[in-house]
Order: sequence, then C-alpha cells, then structure tokens
Amino acid sequence: MLKYSLRRLLIGAGMLLALSMLIFVMLRLTPGDPIDAYIDPNVPMSPSDLVELRATLGLDQPLPVQYLAWLQQALTGNLGYSIQRPDQAVLGLVVSRVGPTVLLMGTAIVIAIIAGIATGIVSAVRRNSLADISFSVLAVTGISSPPFLSGLVGLYLFSVYFNWMPSGGMLTPGREFSLLDLIHHLILPASLLALAQTALIMRYMRGSMLEVLNLDYVRTARAKGVSEFWVITKHALRNALLPVITLIGSTIGLAIGGAIFIESVFNWPGMGLLMVTAVENRDYPVIMGSTLVIGACVIVVNLMTDLAYAAVDPRIKVG
Amino acid sequence: MKRVSRLTYAAALAAMMATSALPAFVVPAQAATLSGGFDVGPGGFQGNFNPLAATSGFTWLSVYYEPLVTYDEKLQKVVGLLASSYEVSDDQQTYTFKLADAKWHDGKPFTAKDASFTLELAKNAKTGSVLAARLTAISSVEATDDKTLVIKLSAPSASLLDTLTKVMMLPEHALTQIPADQLAKNSWWSAAPVGTGPFKFGRYVTDQYVELTANTDYRGGKPALEKVINRYFANPAAAIAALRAGEIQFTYVDSNDLNTFRDNKDFRIIEGNSFVVNYLGFNHDSSIWKDLRVRQAVMYAINRDAIIQSLYGGAAKPANCGYVADQVVPQDIEAYAYDPEKAKKLLEEAGWDKINGNKPITLLTYYTTPLAANVMAAVQAMLAQVGINVTPRAVDTPTYNSIVLNPTPDVAQFQMVYAGLQNGPDPSSINVGLNEKQIPPAGPNVVRARMPELTKALDTALGETDATKRDARYQDVCKVMNAELPWGTLWVANRYGVASAKLKDFVWTPAPGGGPYQAHPEKWSIAD
Repeated sequence: MLKYSLRRLLIGAGMLLALSMLIFVMLRLTPGDPIDAYIDPNVPMSPSDLVELRATLGLDQPLPVQYLAWLQQALTGNLGYSIQRPDQAVLGLVVSRVGPTVLLMGTAIVIAIIAGIATGIVSAVRRNSLADISFSVLAVTGISSPPFLSGLVGLYLFSVYFNWMPSGGMLTPGREFSLLDLIHHLILPASLLALAQTALIMRYMRGSMLEVLNLDYVRTARAKGVSEFWVITKHALRNALLPVITLIGSTIGLAIGGAIFIESVFNWPGMGLLMVTAVENRDYPVIMGSTLVIGACVIVVNLMTDLAYAAVDPRIKVG
Repeated sequence: MKRVSRLTYAAALAAMMATSALPAFVVPAQAATLSGGFDVGPGGFQGNFNPLAATSGFTWLSVYYEPLVTYDEKLQKVVGLLASSYEVSDDQQTYTFKLADAKWHDGKPFTAKDASFTLELAKNAKTGSVLAARLTAISSVEATDDKTLVIKLSAPSASLLDTLTKVMMLPEHALTQIPADQLAKNSWWSAAPVGTGPFKFGRYVTDQYVELTANTDYRGGKPALEKVINRYFANPAAAIAALRAGEIQFTYVDSNDLNTFRDNKDFRIIEGNSFVVNYLGFNHDSSIWKDLRVRQAVMYAINRDAIIQSLYGGAAKPANCGYVADQVVPQDIEAYAYDPEKAKKLLEEAGWDKINGNKPITLLTYYTTPLAANVMAAVQAMLAQVGINVTPRAVDTPTYNSIVLNPTPDVAQFQMVYAGLQNGPDPSSINVGLNEKQIPPAGPNVVRARMPELTKALDTALGETDATKRDARYQDVCKVMNAELPWGTLWVANRYGVASAKLKDFVWTPAPGGGPYQAHPEKWSIAD
C-alpha cells in the first residue's frame, strides 16, 4: 500500500509538472500580456513607459527561459508575486481563498443533498400530489437555469427587492467577525449554488424511490404492519439512496463550475473570483499558482478515493 | 438507527426552509461610517495600494494620501494641497513649492525632504513607477529648507503640474530602508501605509474592502466621519445592488443603469464630464482610408445626435475634433451634421467601389459594456446605409492592446477602432494618440496617424510656455483635426455616480483615472 501510494504521488508530481507546462503555454497563447492589461486605452500613457516594467517582470525573455525561471522558484515553494498587485505573494493569495470556496461549496453540497433527498422522497411518496408537481416544476427550473442567471435573479429578489440578505461579500465591512454575520452572507449564494444540484438529486431520488416502493419486499414490510413512516425511511430509503450517492459524487464538478459564477456575482472571496480577475488581468503568476493548487487537490483527492476503495472493497487490490 | 432517520428528516425540513426564504434580519448601517464603491467604474483600480503604480484609482488613494497640488473639484485649475502655495519662474523651468504644516499619520512632521524623496521614487522606473516617463523633464529636485521644495526642469513642460497631481507624497522615514527595486513588492502598501490625508489606513480584508479611520490630527480639521470603507465589487451591477440594498452609500453607475435612481428621493445622481473623447479611429496603415473624402463620408454618415439622444439619454456632447471644451474649440469648424446623401456622394467621388466596396471592415473595440454594443450596432447600421460594411468586434483590454500596440500590426485585424482617449482637464493628453512620434512602440498612436501638420500643431501647443496663449494653440490642434480627420470624432459622454441622500458635503466627480481633485473627505458626513 505504501509503495503504491508513493508511486501514485510520484505520478501525481509528474502530472503537476505537465499541467504547469500546459497552463504556461496556453496562457502565452492568449493575446495580450500583463502589461497590455495594465494599459488603460483611455489614459494617455505610453507603452514605452512600461518597457522597463516588462523587463523587470522578465516578460521580454524567451518562453522556455521564463518557464524555467518560474519552475525554479516554484520548486522552492515561491509561486511569485501577483503582477496586478505586486505587494501580494501568490501563495498567500491562493491559500487565503481556499477556505471561503470550500465553505461555499461545502454548504451548497450539504444543502443540495439534504433538500434534494427530502423533496425527492416527498415527491415519490405523495406522487402526483400538489407537492410533487410543484417540486417537479421547481426541479426542471433548477436544472435549466444557469448559475449566473439564478445568481442574478436571486440577488435581485432577496437582497435588493426584499432586502433580506446582503448583496455580496462574506462579512459586513467594518464589523468584528461573528458567526451569525457569516451565515447571513453565506446562505443566499450557497442556496443558489445548490439549486441545480438539488434539482438533479431530487429527480434521481424520486425515480429511484418510486421504483423501490413497488418492490416486493416493501409490500412485505407493509403487510407485516410496519408503519408507513418506517417503511419509507428504513426499508425503501436505504436501497433507493444507492444510485443517488453515485450521482452526488459526479455532480460535485457541477458545483465547482457554478461556484465561479456565484463567487463573481456575490463577490465571494474564493478561488473562482480570484481566477476570473486574474485571467482578465493576465496575471500569469496568480493563474499558474491557483491552477497548480487546484490540480494538486484533485490529484490528492483521487489518490485518497482509490485508497479508500481498496480499503472498503476487498475485490479491489492496490499495489 | 431510528434516531438518525428522525434527524435526517428534521435536517431535511430545515434545509428546505433555508432554500426558501429566511426572515429578515437586516443590519443597520453604523453611524459615522461611510461605505462606498470608490473603485467601481472606469476611474477605479481595485486591489492597487501603491500610488506609484496607479494608472487610476486616485479618488480612493487621495482619501489617505495627498499630492503637493491637486485639481479643484470642477477639474478646471490646479490648486495647492500639501503645498500651501507655489510659484513658477518666468522661463517656466523652476517651480518653487511652499509646503503646508502637515503631519504624517504616525505623528512625524511632513517636510520638503519627504517631497523630494517621493519625487525621486516617482522618477525611478525601477520602483515600478508608471509616472517615470512623464517626469523626465525634471533635472533636479531640491529641499532648500524644511518647508521649501524647488523643482528645476531641463525644458518647459506644460503638463508638469498635471502630472504632479498624481504624485502622492510618501514618508521618507518609512520607506527609505527598502531598496527601490523591492519597493513594489513590499507589503507596506496594503498593511500599514502612512499618508497625510484626512483618513488613516485601518485594514484591508483581501478582495472585500479597505477600511480607513479618521485622522483626528488632520490639519484641515477633525473629520466628521469615523470610518470610510471602500467595498470591492466584481462589476458595477453588483455595486448597484449593494447601493439599492442600503449596504453602501455611494458608487459609480453606468449611464444606462441610471433610470432606477431617477425621481427617487433616497438618492442623488452626480453627473460629470468624463473627459474622454470617443472616436472611430481610422487605421492609416490601411489603404482604404487614404482619401480624405472617405473619412468625411464616415462623419456625415453617422447620426451622432440620434445616438446621443437614444443611447446616451442626451448625456453626451458631440465632438468635431478631439475637444469639446469651449475655450479650445474654434467657432468656425465643420460640424459634420448628419447627411447620408452627402456621404454617398463623397464615397462615389472617391471611388469607394474600387477602394473597398462592400468588403467587411473590422471595427475593433475594448469597450464591452451593453451601451458600447448598442453604439457599435448603430454605427454599423448607419455606415451600411451609405455602403460601408463594418463588422464590430469587441475584445478585452489586453487583447485589444496586444493587437493595436503591436509594432508590426496585422492591419486586417483592425482597419478601424472604436475607442476613447482622455482629452482633459489637460488638453495635451491627446498628443500621445495622434502625434507621429507616438506611433507604437514609442507611444499609443494606434491609428498610425502620420499627419505632419497635426504633429506640428501638437508640438507647438505642448511647447507653448506662455500660459495665456495655450488655448489658442489647442484651438489650432482642433482645427487641424477637424479638417484632416485622423479620427472620426464622435462625442464626449458624461459619467455618473449615485449617492445616498443621507450623505452631506460629499464631493465626487467622475474624473479620468479618479482624479485626484479637492474632495475634502474630512467634511463628508452622513445623516442618521
């Protein structure tokens, strides 16, 4: 197991290296560099003013030289400085964003799982009832509304029109930290991010539950006189959950994509907002740094999943 | 098992409630704290804390830093700020500044040595200063005593004072230990900067907001507010949502978002000149624009009044040269009133069928707002009516710059641009966009205008040492532009901010780059 893990980690390091090269080359293929992003065409500033700045940043060097210089620094743990904000180190910028993103996505996933499963059960049990129909309509709306749209509509409704929720940010500016304040800021973006995922889970849960409720063993349970509540929660639910659990794993990708939009709409200080701003400004060090951190996370999580499978399922053998 | 299931049920119920509506518990704004989107819009620069590297964002920077001189709030003349007065010698080459009795936020006195230290930093490109190239005319800076600063120039420079408004004074005692090439990377800027302004740096919560607290020792009097907060927003729409939700009391607002604030007693709309002239830039490297009659036809074909009325809601002024300010626009220039028949005739005379005919012409822009998209569509339709077939293409700023600033550009990618350039308060601003010596890579003359008469007019205006004759020289520039049409000039639009009606004595103007100008933040206050 140890040997296997080490080998996987080595492969992971190689993949990170390849990823860094790929990102580096792709970034340089996009038109315009950080200095181009720095010049406001409306302002009477000469590009020649910035020749020295370009040289200081090493942007006038050939590509392989630039890459090796970056790699050399990166290997020692120095991901460089943001070009747009040179007083901030990339590593610090990226690390400080991981927490907010995990919090937002984590909350969204929890909301989606709980709300999705609960509404799915209700829909299946009270099939064709008013609740079922309204949940189904909501689910179709949820699946078909892209996060940037639901984000904006939600923002308008809940913070501008009803004025129930803050319109953005993670904490009230100028106020000491309080958990209530954080939850107040978190609940709207997290719920909106959860919307599409909730809808998907609800649809699956409903389908799977309906199937299970018609099976013989459920009828047997009922025939034995088990109350309807226990038939659903104990007998039917556990079997119906299996396909849904598989689905939940695969919809996490949906949440990552959605988080980028939601973070932009709600000014949530996470990885998504950081990367969007960095791409707009061609802030190479920040893009490289954040991609690498995300890449490293994915590699580690994949490894852990594989190890967990091996630990749980005796049919899978690693090494 | 039973307990778990019940718990699941209860949690499901709770989550369902959470995804629907939560009861309101709105936090009221704290008294004596002003929150605003100070860095929203074209004059802002979110995330930049270093005034030496600032191409914009001066509205906010000048709440805690101060320059020697600044613009008055109408952006009409340069007045003293940290310099209580200044004199210019007859040969326009010696500037003597008498400094005010000011203190840094850490209590140390502000002296002429600090001023000369700051100017040396600003002149040194190694510090990452974007002002260095504009300060090359300075031959020496000398602190003759604690309160007197003398700047000597190698040649007269009409734009020196304008540039000096953007040089925020920095404390020598705090920065002298840091090597010049490390200065930009130092965390001082966003951690504990020290200025002389009415508010002191409090803290920066990354990508969320910057908080300043009142500088009770400010020489202009104790500020009325306790705190000023600058909230960051990913876009103006998010700032508008926060303004309408009452979370902030001020932000820049795009003109097409203004309607929701009109006739609303809770808000005050602030209107101001953008000092940016919008134009259709003919790429003079492309052979299709060589004939003056073709360029004239473009001017006559576009109904600028209609665009201004219907798209800008009347809040723009047509431009027939690079300027719209009365003192630099001569009376007798051509007004290029909308006349599509004349445009067609001119094109026919020039032989447009042979020059280009119906082939598509790329109209490149870096403006990505909905307003700009509508303007481009209108221009496209109007030009199509006279037989000029343009295809708008909007790209982001870095892409635009990489195309147009390329020393060996691909003409096909931008036969025409829809762009803007600052034309005031200092009228020499447009020189870099039109002077033949500013063709890339030297400068941003992206249309590659090679017009000897125009270059000469610009050089003469910039070299004019007699301040009373300067306007006349810029009138000459205007006249040449109007006749030769290096650009198809369109208009100068107004820009807007919206402030809560509770704000008192709040001064803001949509200055290019955010100013700076005399905003007197120490007088700002907020009613309960």
